[in-house]
Amino acid sequence: MHPSNVGRIGLYLYGILILAFLYLPLVAIGFASVSTSRYLSFPIRQYTTQWYAQALESGTVSDLLWISLQVAAIVTVISMVLGFFGALAFARYQWRYRRLYQKLILLPIFFPQSVLGLALLMWFNAVGITPTWHTAIIAHLVWIAPIATLIIAIRAYSFDPALEEAARDMGCSTWQILREVTLPLLMPGVVAAGLFSFLLSWGNFPLSLFTTGADLTLPEWLYAKMVSGYSPLVPTVGMLSVAASIVLVAIALALPPLINRFTRNSSD
Amino acid sequence: MNIAAPVRLPAGKADLSRQAEALRPTHMNAQPILRVVDLKKTFDGFTALDSVNLTVDDGEFLAIVGPSGSGKTTLIRLLVGMEEQTSGEIWLRDSRIDNVPANKRPTCMVFQSLALFPHRSVGENIEFPLKIRGVDPALRRARALELLDLVRLPQHYYGKRIQQCSGGERQRVALARALAFDPEILFFDEPLSALDFRLRKMLEKELKDLHQRTGKTFIYITHSLEEAMVMSDRIAIMRSGRFEQLGPAEEIYAKPKSRFVAEFMGEVNLFRANGNGGTVSFEHVTVDPAAAAKRGLRPGFSGDLMARPESVRLLKPGERADVMATGIVESEYLLGSRVQYLVRLASGYKVTVELSRENRVTWEPGQSMGVGFDLDRAHLIQEA
Repeated sequence: MHPSNVGRIGLYLYGILILAFLYLPLVAIGFASVSTSRYLSFPIRQYTTQWYAQALESGTVSDLLWISLQVAAIVTVISMVLGFFGALAFARYQWRYRRLYQKLILLPIFFPQSVLGLALLMWFNAVGITPTWHTAIIAHLVWIAPIATLIIAIRAYSFDPALEEAARDMGCSTWQILREVTLPLLMPGVVAAGLFSFLLSWGNFPLSLFTTGADLTLPEWLYAKMVSGYSPLVPTVGMLSVAASIVLVAIALALPPLINRFTRNSSD
Repeated sequence: MNIAAPVRLPAGKADLSRQAEALRPTHMNAQPILRVVDLKKTFDGFTALDSVNLTVDDGEFLAIVGPSGSGKTTLIRLLVGMEEQTSGEIWLRDSRIDNVPANKRPTCMVFQSLALFPHRSVGENIEFPLKIRGVDPALRRARALELLDLVRLPQHYYGKRIQQCSGGERQRVALARALAFDPEILFFDEPLSALDFRLRKMLEKELKDLHQRTGKTFIYITHSLEEAMVMSDRIAIMRSGRFEQLGPAEEIYAKPKSRFVAEFMGEVNLFRANGNGGTVSFEHVTVDPAAAAKRGLRPGFSGDLMARPESVRLLKPGERADVMATGIVESEYLLGSRVQYLVRLASGYKVTVELSRENRVTWEPGQSMGVGFDLDRAHLIQEA
């Protein structure tokens, strides 16, 4: 065999190993969620969809999904707005305290999330706010909005300032520049930031643990069930959560080509 | 767009001074469209623009030329309203506009980067100023198609993406968009600088042609003198935030007011006056006293004697000229229709001689050769 072929096969094997390492645990949970036995063991004797039926009928599970969804959706919208304007200040405009602002924005990302969650919980207590899933939104934002800002800032860095100047030169007001030039050009970044915000909030555990109070988000419930009172619904709910993420990513990937096709048709 | 096309004379280097005079009144019905009075701009103590005064006629093509850092970009940004002046006035016809924001000024600029919107098609880019003004979509489209025609782009480019256009096509789109705005004055900030030589040459001529067809006032910034000479009626040479000289291209080329302008305006041979004693003499060359007297050169003249390479000739044995020197031909450069010789004089000074190709001479390395020119083809730069 030619030596370069050996190298290539080796590379493929290495790639497959990495993928297996990443995805096998997920696949195992997938099998567990359709197995009749209470605990996962191979080979699976009998397949069933009963856990999914139970999960979807269960009021607890639908509550979990609903709370997680609300938190993630609200965090996503606010992060996109804050991230958009934050990114303009971060990357587009020159102002006096820009460097300081850039550092301060980055700081929460590097904080250990559990410390951040604890700090916020203590702060909520001090102010006299009872933690619920509403307060979790604030906690998520402290960590996620900076990430959204960074993602949009990357896009804003490659933005030619002359585009805004040209728009103004041709008669645009500040608001028109924002609507006609800045926002459409940063839109890919804003969408990416929204996607990340949703996924990071949807899967977040440490911040939610400290700040949701009596309410439970999906990751919290999974953890609670693992610690005490394991239920065969655990892998099922886990799979439902993964499925939601996959659907969202799929939509996000399918969106740009669809938008492109739509705009091309309309301009012809 | 029904302003009378300005009158232009054919260019040629035959009689520079006469043409320069003829070009001075640039337009038949010239009336100032722009008046700049004592304009100053400082950035944190640095003076970018130091008292600029300028009057531009309606329909004129003015080029502002200068090395980088001379203040030309600052000037144009002040004129379109993207920067605020430290002091001074800008008048457009009868109204003062220096405190009017950029989006309310009836001026438009073609940017160096062109600033075409990458998220819009060619047609949408051209229509943009009309859209902002709230013009009906059907009218907008009709106007955009008209403008595509004017800048010589095919109609089907209307739906093309900017990314699909070549550099030259983008120039045309940017120009069409600026024309759609229908500005009183159209500004250009070196839009051709990124293009390759051939395309640039072609677009320079097209731009000049477009200027004539639209009758608009163009103010064009460039660091390329050639570009300015090809296109403009008048050229302003900028240096450290001031106009060093302002006049028709021919005048600035043939009669520069300073060494800076002479050297900036292309290759030049300069000989400094010695000015000692009662005779007229210059460094490196001998001047015929009778010719000097006839030219009005008096002893005590201080300044430079200037001769463009095309005014200098290689002398045949025994041939005379008002100004002469002897040197050794060092190299020969073929420039297509012209040929250039570098002649090193005994003093070490190198004289550049440019002849048309038919007058090319044969020479041996190290061969001694006379160079010379007559005073009526030379220019005297009086020291200020």
